[in-house]
Amino acid sequence: MSRYEILSPEGLRTDGRRWNEMRRFSPKMATTTAADGSSYIEHGNTKVICSVNGPIEPRASSARNSERATITVDVCFAAFSGTDRKKRGKGDKRVLEMQSALSRTFASTLLTILHPRSEVHISLHILSQDGSILATCVNAATLALVDAGVPMTDYVTACTVASYTNPDESDEPLLDMNSAEEMDLPGITLATVGRNDKISLLQLETKVRLERLEGMMAVGIDGCAKIRQLLDRAVRDHGNEMARMGAL
Amino acid sequence: MPRELDPTINEKSFILDALNQKLRIDGRDLDVFRELELSFGDDYGLADVRLGKTRVLARVSAEVVKPFTDRPFEGIFTITTELGPMASPAFEPGRQTEQEVLLSRLIEKAIRRSNALDTESLCIVAGQKCWQIRADVHFLSHDGALVDASCIAVVAALQHFRRPDVSIEGEKVTIHTMTERVPVPLSILHVPICVTFSFYLDGEVCLVDATLQEEQLRQGDMTITLNKFGELCQIAKAGGLAINALILLRCAKIALVKAGEIAAIVQRRLEEDAAVRVRRDNLLESKADNERA
Amino acid sequence: MPISILPPQPAQSRLPPDPDSDHDDEKVTLNEDGDFVRMASSQKRPKAISIVTPGEIVTSDPQWMRGHGTYLLQSKDSTTDGSGSDAEMEDGADTAAVGGSGGGSIVATVAGTVQKVNKLLSVKPLRARYAPEIGDLVVGRIMEVQSKRWKVDINSTLTAHLLLSSINLPGGILRKRTSTDELQIRSFFSEGDLLVAEVQGLFQDGAASLHTRSLKYGKLRNGYFLKVKAGGIVRGKSHIITLEAANGAGEVDVILGVNGYVWVSKKVTLQAPPGGESITRLEEEASEAIYSNVNEDIAPATRREIARIGNCVRAMVSWNVRVDEEVLNAVYLSALELEEMGIDGEGSIGSGVEYLEGEVGRIVVLAGMDRVSSANLRAGGMVE
Repeated sequence: MSRYEILSPEGLRTDGRRWNEMRRFSPKMATTTAADGSSYIEHGNTKVICSVNGPIEPRASSARNSERATITVDVCFAAFSGTDRKKRGKGDKRVLEMQSALSRTFASTLLTILHPRSEVHISLHILSQDGSILATCVNAATLALVDAGVPMTDYVTACTVASYTNPDESDEPLLDMNSAEEMDLPGITLATVGRNDKISLLQLETKVRLERLEGMMAVGIDGCAKIRQLLDRAVRDHGNEMARMGAL
Repeated sequence: MPRELDPTINEKSFILDALNQKLRIDGRDLDVFRELELSFGDDYGLADVRLGKTRVLARVSAEVVKPFTDRPFEGIFTITTELGPMASPAFEPGRQTEQEVLLSRLIEKAIRRSNALDTESLCIVAGQKCWQIRADVHFLSHDGALVDASCIAVVAALQHFRRPDVSIEGEKVTIHTMTERVPVPLSILHVPICVTFSFYLDGEVCLVDATLQEEQLRQGDMTITLNKFGELCQIAKAGGLAINALILLRCAKIALVKAGEIAAIVQRRLEEDAAVRVRRDNLLESKADNERA
Repeated sequence: MPISILPPQPAQSRLPPDPDSDHDDEKVTLNEDGDFVRMASSQKRPKAISIVTPGEIVTSDPQWMRGHGTYLLQSKDSTTDGSGSDAEMEDGADTAAVGGSGGGSIVATVAGTVQKVNKLLSVKPLRARYAPEIGDLVVGRIMEVQSKRWKVDINSTLTAHLLLSSINLPGGILRKRTSTDELQIRSFFSEGDLLVAEVQGLFQDGAASLHTRSLKYGKLRNGYFLKVKAGGIVRGKSHIITLEAANGAGEVDVILGVNGYVWVSKKVTLQAPPGGESITRLEEEASEAIYSNVNEDIAPATRREIARIGNCVRAMVSWNVRVDEEVLNAVYLSALELEEMGIDGEGSIGSGVEYLEGEVGRIVVLAGMDRVSSANLRAGGMVE
């Protein structure tokens, strides 16, 4: 795919979005009954289901910390989630890295000190991959943690931003990459805590000019704020529904 | 897993109080690296990096193999890391810990995926033969900043390394020994340098090149990899304390300066080493080789 | 008494009708009863419930102390490095002092409803694991046997402990435990056994310590275990209910654990010998059989009614009706009536009518509520 197709001269991307447009984002919470908290997020064609168990008695004694709760994360890519059917093994370094990034992101946001000697287990299944996977995992985990009633200082929300190079060498940030854009463009994944622009997770894996970082981060922070609104609305809707059911 | 002992309460409060007053216990400024010592072995491709008490050894070696079928025109470049009990008793041999996985992923992203080494230049016969360049990183002593030190070690070793020359006559590939022909350096496209920042006190204090104790007490960290041209190769801030965006950008600017400084040191040491070699071996040819490169 | 049987509704309308839009007839009769608040007060004033979400500032008024589900955000800089002290929300007194001087804002950490008790402000999460409190009656399952204690799963964040010294040892009167007891610890409870116990105390980390030092507590047999969502069973006057089951099934015991575990069983009758016996004598008799693992013979009719009662509890919890003796009885009667009549008067449900999921459950629960409210009205009328 040539670079020009990523952004047409009219300023539209391959899927018809403008530079600052996000794909359809539909969060659902409390989707499974077996877990303490659960969520399902469709972000464009990226689909992630998440369930949270905990705080529970740690399943492995190594996960016991006498001062705070341990957060363990399992990320599982479904074999059918990508374009070619391929199972990612448990030991895949990329998966391990994602797990560690997620667990450290939430370790600093959840009030783990309230549940010493216990474990919060987050299990994420990626059902369909179309870019922004880590970001969608963060959002799904946040929603499931809210559903599980695990105390946190604020929502952690994430999104991705690509940096597109115009034919005239000027650059333009593109909010929320799909997998085609992820393939061709450098981009960052960024997660913020709450409404202020505090960044808890920032990842860049491809080469990009340093000067472009600021623009990408500014767009990303706005994107995260937008996702926070959407998640918040999902939580409120769920809460109001429960109130209507008389569960409160 | 044996865990590294946490600093005592006294040490902790002392270090944090000092940081609150923008002081570090080893007297450095907040954004100053420890003394970087870089030495090379007698052989090509062996770099020994010391950053304070941290010591990392990188060895680059080459071997002729068959290229991957999906990339017939490219050589193979692998980086392996080994975090053994030599570096610190807290590391167990054999088992891959999370720390080791993260470390090797970071170095991999910083150097391999940023195309620091031109793998296409390693091709000998398309689809048949290519060079496989291996960089083995050994951690000899752990006193913080393992990523930064190992990244320096790898890029220094890569630049120092010379592979045997090859000549192709029709189907026949001859690999000339080091004495037969002057070995050729690798084609390095850029020199990525990792700078790890440690955050304390809600991001008000950010340190570069933290020692082990400082690393144990930090609330968050971020590793930025860039080269002296101002190209970011990689950023990894995986959780930890949430930091204001402006501070992160300031860190990136500091990192750019540091990367330039470190790359210059590496360059100077390489030149010194080359000069020593010329004098010692009286290898006038290597001079010619440099000109050719 | 005639009960209103509604036409079946599409399955997706799992919600009770919206109080604003379509105030159904059965809802009106329900709400006429002034003091009747069981069907969740929210239905009377749904707009009064407001949800707060994590990160939302609940109040900046320094007069409030923060309770569970909140943390204090200092107005100057967010959290200091000792975020530990900030997060110690259990400690009301300490935080009150901080709140008074620092002038921070109280921020919610969970999604839920704001609750105010005097000057203590807390957020009750929409859903959370069961948090044990002293005095709670819980049903639990032995997870692990250790040398002097059992670890018991009570559906809370950490497993509870049951010390060997806090059970009734066989041999009558309360006695000190001996090393022999330690050796045969598995003869009292072994892995997988179910028991009913009371929370005696809490450890520092929030784990519960249980005791079974009462005739009411101990090993469970002759029955049926079910789990409902934590928070579905509300703390009430009595958690052990005895129902008179229909169809000649005899009496059925229902133990409603606050932790969401429920035990429905055939009533265990202690064979107290006729004649005045002292309590200690009774206990002695009881303790012989108390750790038995053998179920008594349970008649099919009783099994059927146990299952039906279990389903009634499930239906009540899933429709957010508080489970207590009076309502459970009424719902159970409605369920029986439903079986007689069939769901729409045609007997279309057939044999599997003990099954009370979904719409059927809603109808049964509503009918049960109706029954209770009309009984209340009658009772009220008589008093006046």
